Amino acid sequence: MKYQGQDDLSNDSQLGSAEATLRLIASLPAPAGLEERVQAGLRAAPRSGRVLAWPAALSLDSNWMRAAAAAAIVFVVAGGGWGVYAHVQPGQSARGVAVPPHVAAPAGGFSNSGAMRTPNTLNGPLAPHPATARPPAKASVKGTARTTQTPLRPGKSGVANKAVPPPIAPAAK
Amino acid sequence: MEIPNSAMSDQARQCAAEEELAALVGQYAGTLYRVAFSVLRNPSDAEDAVQEAFLRVLRHRDSLGEVRDQRVWLIRIVWNIVLDRKRRSKTRPETDDVTELARVLPAQGLSAEQIASAAQHHAHVLACVDRLPAKERQVLMLSAFEELSSVEIASVLGITESSVRSRLFRARNLMAGLLNHARSLR
Repeated sequence: MKYQGQDDLSNDSQLGSAEATLRLIASLPAPAGLEERVQAGLRAAPRSGRVLAWPAALSLDSNWMRAAAAAAIVFVVAGGGWGVYAHVQPGQSARGVAVPPHVAAPAGGFSNSGAMRTPNTLNGPLAPHPATARPPAKASVKGTARTTQTPLRPGKSGVANKAVPPPIAPAAK
Repeated sequence: MEIPNSAMSDQARQCAAEEELAALVGQYAGTLYRVAFSVLRNPSDAEDAVQEAFLRVLRHRDSLGEVRDQRVWLIRIVWNIVLDRKRRSKTRPETDDVTELARVLPAQGLSAEQIASAAQHHAHVLACVDRLPAKERQVLMLSAFEELSSVEIASVLGITESSVRSRLFRARNLMAGLLNHARSLR
């Protein structure tokens, strides 16, 4: 029969042996001659890791070089900003209405006073009105033949009616 | 002919930096090797990693004076190198092989049978460590270095000290579970 304490003990012992293994690996001695090999490797390595070998006076360690570089960056940024500002004209907003160019009046003539020509609205085709028979007038003479008349349109004067052409009747064969 | 002062001071500074670097190699090459070996488990790979770490230091030798704790700084460099190498080479570590492990680990005063048994045990433990999650595994491996405190481990891994403790606690629990599971399967 196993007890909880026994399990804990075996766990602890297992864990302890595992940690002992890790400690054993962590305490392995370095191979002989490691330091000499590393030193030799460092001596054989190129002295400068940079692609371009700057002269010592131009190296970024010197303060005046840093200041000059910072000033150059500020100058470029400020110049670029000013250039953009100078080239972009303010108030170039789009306008909805196109204004026709002002036509100068001929010498001695009148100007158009800013009047604009608006084209005429096109009239659509008019639908032919069917010819309706007019009830015979009381004052008409009996026996006279029926005549076709153009019906009166409401709100139009007789003068206007005269201007409207009569509906086109199909040609009689 | 007069040599400018700036050129002289540059040369003197370079010489001082190189001397400091040589001293660092003498002082910490062994420690860095052990850190590298604990992850790579391959002697030649570990040596390459140490070499690469010192080459990186050589590139930044001008800023050596700004480093507060050089030992932790160097361990951090080599740690990053070995993790990167481990990530790139997905091959099995050489010492997963039991006989290879027996060759690498010290076994003075042990019989051949004991050596083989110990190597098998170590290989089994390392296999369990490899099955741990990366964060827990890293803390557990670094905690095996007696010269590293929890504050220094936190500095190497770039985490807080409390995170180190909690990860170590989790790692130990997981390890116990893995070892138990393997024992019950036997």
